Amino acid sequence: MKQPNKKTMKKIHVLVRAVIQLLYFLFIPSAYTAAFNGVKYIFTKMGTRAHLEVTSFVAALIVLCVYTVVFGRFFCGFACAFGSLGDAVRALYVFICKKMKKKPITMKAAVVKKLQVVKYFVLAIIAVACYTGVYSKAKGFSPWDVFSMLHARNFKLGGYTLGVVLLVLIVVGMCFQERFFCRVLCPMGAVFSILPVLPLSTLRRDRSECIKGCRACTMKCPADIELAPDTAPELSGDCFQCQKCIDTCPKGNIHTGIRSLKGNEIWYTVLRAVILLVLFKIIGL
Amino acid sequence: MKNFIIRIINVCVIVAALFGYNKVTLAHEQADAEAKAEADRQNAEIAAQSGESGGSYKDGTYQGTATGFGGDITVEVTIADGKITDVEILSAEKEDSAYLTMAKDIIPEILDAQSADVDTISGATFSSTGIKNATAQALEEGGAN
Repeated sequence: MKQPNKKTMKKIHVLVRAVIQLLYFLFIPSAYTAAFNGVKYIFTKMGTRAHLEVTSFVAALIVLCVYTVVFGRFFCGFACAFGSLGDAVRALYVFICKKMKKKPITMKAAVVKKLQVVKYFVLAIIAVACYTGVYSKAKGFSPWDVFSMLHARNFKLGGYTLGVVLLVLIVVGMCFQERFFCRVLCPMGAVFSILPVLPLSTLRRDRSECIKGCRACTMKCPADIELAPDTAPELSGDCFQCQKCIDTCPKGNIHTGIRSLKGNEIWYTVLRAVILLVLFKIIGL
Repeated sequence: MKNFIIRIINVCVIVAALFGYNKVTLAHEQADAEAKAEADRQNAEIAAQSGESGGSYKDGTYQGTATGFGGDITVEVTIADGKITDVEILSAEKEDSAYLTMAKDIIPEILDAQSADVDTISGATFSSTGIKNATAQALEEGGAN
């Protein structure tokens, strides 16, 4: 059989990712909120000096953190409902712009890079609010609750005005910057981006092989990451493992810790998605 | 690589801190639980002496339904000897399983309090409110005072 050309492979990879994202979005949309509830649970309990137990939320948190240490933020890139929503919103916006023959607006990379610290504040504020017991008293502000309710086709959104407004603002942000929410606001992303990732799963590039001055991978990257050379592999905590850079590189320079493993092989992608699914099923998500 | 090692140390410190915290609080809670058991025993003795006969509900099983997260939750409450002995979830089709599992923590609290008037489970507010309200409805049928 003839090996399909590079362009076809790229299309297949995009399709595989879209299918995995869609399935996770439809069937396991609550993994992200469940894991973040684990974080909130820990701080809430600490506020009352109570003993911590491994509830289903804490289990989701532990599973996602361990998975991220092993495979990088594959969950964010392929399975998070909020991340997928962001990808869909951005894709739709770009598509509409194209149809209207307008140039899509994209935030400046330098600005987003500065805004990235906001997510740590979001995490800190929610943690403090949980610890002091304010969080459970404040109602109707959470954009995630609104999202979950809409996903469950529960449209009784009375009392959620602030949550609805925040969700709309987030969706607007998603239009103008790929992975806006994940990079700037996601408190779970703040947790993930301070986790270590096994060198095996960190993407790097053979810098000496690069075309002089080529920035194709950074231009394509939703997190504007400049990949480290394989002489000093160091992965940015903001890499979502979306794998777009791998197919974009004209020289095929990007690979994982194992030189022969690019990181976007279909079997490898499906394997990671299935491992994640099995883990979720074990903890009952 | 340096970055990687620093992060590993960070995670280890956080995990160790959580384990340490849990060890201390567990010891405290065990002491509290023993004190509570002792108090309960004394209360029971006093109640037995004054000849009170437990709860105030009519024996039987009662059903109640209330809105949870995505739809209705139906529970069955069992009353024996005038007391709530069991709350069983009959159907909660539209609830997310992780949340429902968390929300079920409200059931021991209801049994403890012998009333549906308990705090909801934070993080699973909708589902636990559903269970709570459904139980309240069932108890009304069971002649709650």
